[in-house]
Amino acid sequence: MNIKQIAEKAGVSVATVSRVLNHPESVAENTRERIQRIIDEEEYTPNWFARGLNFNKTRTIGLVIPHTLNSTYMEIVNGVEEVARQKGYITFVCNMEGDPEIEKKYIDQLVTRRVDGIIMLYSFGLDGGYIRWMKELEMPVVTIGESKIMTEWDSVRVDSREAMAKMTSYMLECGHRKIGFLKGTDPDMETGSMLQGFRNVMKASGIPVEEKLIVDVENNIEGGYIGMKKMIGGSPEPPDAVMATGDEIAYGAMDAIKELEYRIPEDIAVTGFGNDRMSSLMEPKLTTVELPYRKMGIYGARVLFDNIEEKQDKNAKHPAGVIKLQAKSRIRKSCGHEGRIGEMF
Amino acid sequence: MLKTDFLGIKLDNPVMIAAGPWNRDGKGIKESLKAGAGAAVTESIVSDTMLDVRPRISCDEKGAQNIRLYSDIQIEGWEREMSIAKSGGGVVIASVSGHTASEVAYLASKLEKFGADAIELSVSNPAVESLEVVASHADIIYEMTGEIVTAVKIPVIVKLSQNTTNISKVARAVKEAGGSGVTAINTVRGILGVDIEKAEPMLSTYGGISGEYIRPLGLASVATIAQTVDIPICGVGGIAGCRNALEYMMLGATAVQVGTAVMLEGRDVIRKIVQELEIWVQNHNIGALSDIRGKALKNLKSFEEMKFEPAVSHSSGVPCGENCDKCMSACMYGAISRRGDAISVDHASCTGCGLCTFICPANKLKLYL
Repeated sequence: MNIKQIAEKAGVSVATVSRVLNHPESVAENTRERIQRIIDEEEYTPNWFARGLNFNKTRTIGLVIPHTLNSTYMEIVNGVEEVARQKGYITFVCNMEGDPEIEKKYIDQLVTRRVDGIIMLYSFGLDGGYIRWMKELEMPVVTIGESKIMTEWDSVRVDSREAMAKMTSYMLECGHRKIGFLKGTDPDMETGSMLQGFRNVMKASGIPVEEKLIVDVENNIEGGYIGMKKMIGGSPEPPDAVMATGDEIAYGAMDAIKELEYRIPEDIAVTGFGNDRMSSLMEPKLTTVELPYRKMGIYGARVLFDNIEEKQDKNAKHPAGVIKLQAKSRIRKSCGHEGRIGEMF
Repeated sequence: MLKTDFLGIKLDNPVMIAAGPWNRDGKGIKESLKAGAGAAVTESIVSDTMLDVRPRISCDEKGAQNIRLYSDIQIEGWEREMSIAKSGGGVVIASVSGHTASEVAYLASKLEKFGADAIELSVSNPAVESLEVVASHADIIYEMTGEIVTAVKIPVIVKLSQNTTNISKVARAVKEAGGSGVTAINTVRGILGVDIEKAEPMLSTYGGISGEYIRPLGLASVATIAQTVDIPICGVGGIAGCRNALEYMMLGATAVQVGTAVMLEGRDVIRKIVQELEIWVQNHNIGALSDIRGKALKNLKSFEEMKFEPAVSHSSGVPCGENCDKCMSACMYGAISRRGDAISVDHASCTGCGLCTFICPANKLKLYL
């Protein structure tokens, strides 16, 4: 069924149906509800391609992500996609496989395909010339997560340094002193910030950081397993606790700790970062930092659409474009805390 | 007669319907306004909708406990809901909640665009979020309020919590950050009861207690805020009738909100409160509600200002046919006895504590010099 037939069925003009689709607030409530019911019943969807020609819009956005085999990125994608879908947009998801060259190639492709805007997730960094070129194109861009280019455009971020600092303080409160750190490879800038947050708290508390307990690892379960084995093997006494920059790294570390017949958290306490779904289901439950991944995606898309709308209608001034979201400590059994109240809120 | 200016907004009457599931969408809000509310506050709108646990609301004869009541409509959907809410006229205040200043400011600016008349920042939920409620931190409230005030042109009010050690400090932070008013109070953290056969709390986690249980806390908070800053206050907590609304106003509230009574009795309770209020004002020859605002604050004294008078309870020989003997059981000083049909107070033993004057169902006992 096309728009003309919908209009005939509803007994209104094509223009009224069009207004229901584009500016529903301008149509009287009763009329709007009646037309919407017919649209829903007939499962009518407008011809977006034709719409793109009309409004100089393609109703597509690009989303460039570092990896697909990482469930946390997919939660962000889920948030972006939900908002885009509600707006009637299609999202092109491009996986750069952690390679800045692929990132640029994908952006070139998205520009060629005339997307209405681009979201970059934990960008590995674009050089100055490339950024200038994108700005000259007046392409609406939003970055999600901390990256070298996050101050170039509107952005959505979480302060990962502060979040890790808070968790480190909590570990000290739990009585741990000899603390190891498993630093994952990506997101590059965020894991660096997390380590900085950890170091800051240790320094402020006057507790020396043992450099051999800081281990660089791959960002996955295997990375955590190998890193933990290295850490325990390289030290005469195992650490009291180990903090990982990702939940998957923590799972791997827990596997290694159990294999070496240490107890969690009695011998070695463990914390993660991210609050993946599995973390509250394993034994012992993993203490971690919950990042609002889906919300990051939702806000990334919201701010992008604000930018797109502002580009099309100069009067549509959009709200402030830097959204800072909060990470939250999720205290569970693996960190060796006492007192159940810490787990309650 | 009940017309009220609240934050520069003209209200037909000062009785609003508080944020809650009854105002979960445009249709519900329209109903609330139709029931005669001076304004309606939306259910708290958040950045991302969340799954609701079941069950999440319990109640008894004195009030209710809820676990978490946030809007299940995304901000995008509120463009439509707000236009429906306002289609019959009336004042709609949008309640927003979040964890960071930029988040709540973003939601507020969108809701202003969608037609909200004012913003109510609600970061005082005592359940789920954190042991210390956000609204107990004056610095965070200052930052959040300031960022919303910068983002919107409409008035911004902040809903305060009793779960703080110093509500004065938080109220002052709201004013200093440019907030136009405060709402007091949000629910108070509690557990409504325990099923002793199953050893199970009525709801499976801590929640926010509302209704009659928290009215004394709300009244004290409103009075404290009124004695701290010159800023319009909206009183909320356990208002079930006109008398409660007047109590809040006499302690300094410009307007009031009703929540739990609407939840337990339906929106008609609003119509009832407004009608009773009209009659009361008429019978007392009150020209405008502003004449009674804060009137009881004058009689709220500091401990130092209270007079130490040797008042004792009098009822000697007063015939009492009640035979309830409540005064006798309650008297901790052994001063009250019964002689036949009459209650008698031994003035030498009476210390003037006053309890018997409140406990007597027939109002027979009074304190005199």
